[in-house]
Amino acid sequence: MKNYQLTIKADDKQVVLERILQVTRYRGFLISGINAKVNTGTNVGTIELMVRSERSIELLVDQINKLIDIKEVKVDNSASQQSIA
Amino acid sequence: MTTEKKLTGGGLLFNVLEQHGVEHVFGYPGGAIMPIYDALYDSNVEHFLCRHEQGAAFSAVGYARASGKVGVCLATSGPGATNLITGLADALADSIPVVAITGQVATAAMGSDAFQEIDIFGLSLACTKHSFQVTDINDLAAVLHQAFAIALEGRQGPVLVDIPKDIQLAEVNGCLDHLVNLKNKVKLPPANVGSAIALLSQTKQPILYVGGGVGMANAIDELRAFAKTTGVPSVSTLKGLGTIDPTDENYLGMLGMHGTKAANLAVQECDLLIAVGARFDDRVTGKLNEFAPNAKVIHFDIDTAEINKRRVADAAILGDLKVNLPALAIPLSIIHWQEKCQMMKTDFSWDYNHPGESIFAPAVLKEISDNMPENTCVTTDVGQHQMWAAQHMLFDDPSNFLTSGGMGTMGFGVPAAVGAQVSRPTDCIIAVSGDGSFMMNVQELSTIKRFQLPVKIVLIDNAKLGMVRQWQDLFFNGRLSETDLADNPDFVMLANAFDIKAKSITKKSQVTAAIEEMLEHDGPYLLQIKIDAQDNVWPLVPPNTANDKMMEST
Ligand SMILES: Cc1ncc(C[n+]2csc(CCOP(=O)(O)OP(=O)(O)O)c2C)c(N)n1
Ligand SMILES: [Mg+2]
Repeated sequence: MKNYQLTIKADDKQVVLERILQVTRYRGFLISGINAKVNTGTNVGTIELMVRSERSIELLVDQINKLIDIKEVKVDNSASQQSIA
Repeated sequence: MTTEKKLTGGGLLFNVLEQHGVEHVFGYPGGAIMPIYDALYDSNVEHFLCRHEQGAAFSAVGYARASGKVGVCLATSGPGATNLITGLADALADSIPVVAITGQVATAAMGSDAFQEIDIFGLSLACTKHSFQVTDINDLAAVLHQAFAIALEGRQGPVLVDIPKDIQLAEVNGCLDHLVNLKNKVKLPPANVGSAIALLSQTKQPILYVGGGVGMANAIDELRAFAKTTGVPSVSTLKGLGTIDPTDENYLGMLGMHGTKAANLAVQECDLLIAVGARFDDRVTGKLNEFAPNAKVIHFDIDTAEINKRRVADAAILGDLKVNLPALAIPLSIIHWQEKCQMMKTDFSWDYNHPGESIFAPAVLKEISDNMPENTCVTTDVGQHQMWAAQHMLFDDPSNFLTSGGMGTMGFGVPAAVGAQVSRPTDCIIAVSGDGSFMMNVQELSTIKRFQLPVKIVLIDNAKLGMVRQWQDLFFNGRLSETDLADNPDFVMLANAFDIKAKSITKKSQVTAAIEEMLEHDGPYLLQIKIDAQDNVWPLVPPNTANDKMMEST
């Protein structure tokens, strides 16, 4: 299992969070933490997602990027790390 | 009279549909969509009443696939909406542009477990490309424009718009927004043209692996030109059939689980696999890590997420095929490989010899294919008959072969043929169905009757869920569990009940005349072809096996 941290910027649209969670689960990633807030001035939401999986993170990044309301997905390399177990 | 009437959400819906060139919709009314059906009354859009919402969804899919336009279906809230789901899943798996409109209970009642309230918006997340729920009448026009844009943009797919009843009834300003541009479009990384050219210049044994994406990208001419200039022998996926001219000497047929021996052996031997609008589906690759084991890969696609998903690409060419294919069409000197492939094609060509009087489905389908008028569109259901149609019928365009590929949905064939016939009223439309699949949307015979659609149904009847029976015989020690359909209805009588002319044949000697009668008949026609229940589809690559280890008989 590898741990990854994603920072996602999205339009503050209906169910955007549900969409991200659904794709994350379906593509085989477990969620170990989530942090989400909206800038009401710009209507842009920022979602920090801590996930783990055997799979390569690009697979998830590409799928989240395909969601219509997503503006940007970044993998935070400093926070992402190989788990010891 | 209508000038007095204020425009409502329902009326606006049809105005936007017309703005997008929609002439035909498929649907089924109910309480929560009544204002939309009321507005339909004043609209120029023609509505086709199907007899089940699943039928409406598949008709929209068939319409889209046969015409290249967006298919539109309507359903009421609750059970109407849930009945669309299989069709939406099918459209998602095969990247078909469909816009589904569902009625919803009024916004004030939403979230109260109201009568016929279901969270279709939530349910849509896993079976659409995108979805909307409109909660403000002022958003309706923009949402509908976006729905069409999203359905067609990039990799196409189904979009659902859920509209509560009060929004349908609300009065709205008549002015129509301009078509919106999509924000947040996925930005594609630059095509890796340099690496691809290097791979092309080194290859001795390349194969062109053609998927459904080529037709969807409107790049058939560019693909054919690429095949001609490079001379690369080609194979096709189920959804790609018709993209390459089937009479091309370098074309080896379908690859994968029920692919031709020549196609599968050539792919296994190739040193360069050029995948175009294809996604390395498990039915194509067989055992993934033994698929084309010595090949480098050039992968052309529009969807970034398909690159490296199941097979690492040595060169990824993302973007519009119409632009990218010509950029890489360079002549190659691969004459020995071409000859080898052509030899395999001859050596392993189909054998239509079949002893006895009973009808051999592959031969019948070939005969239909040889005799059907130009530009005939064939739809299929799912099972053995589907694979036989894919193997033995020839198509010159992917919009002439509509089959449920990614989802493999039984019940697809007849309603898809309805949609295809509506979109192409003067073309011959043939649904190749199986006795199991046919019964899954048999109510759509009523739609055929109602609109006098001249759809021809070829029912390959083995009185079995044949494909499952074949697997039980081959891989489950012949323990036949729940695959016998000996108690099927009398299909001729059934068709007649819908005013559809029908005939049943059981012997080889009846085939030619029966095909002629069917093709010459003006209206709808059902030809029941009884075959031996033991007939199997060959070749077959067993599950989790490399594609060169196909079985060719029991
Ligand atoms: C909706 C749905 N349910 C179940 C299946 C599984 N399935 C695949 S092929 C098949 C048998 C189809 O029987 P029939 O339509 O008679 O075709 P045949 O194989 O006999 O030609 C079944 C049950 C499916 N593909 N779709
Ligand atoms: Mg059958």
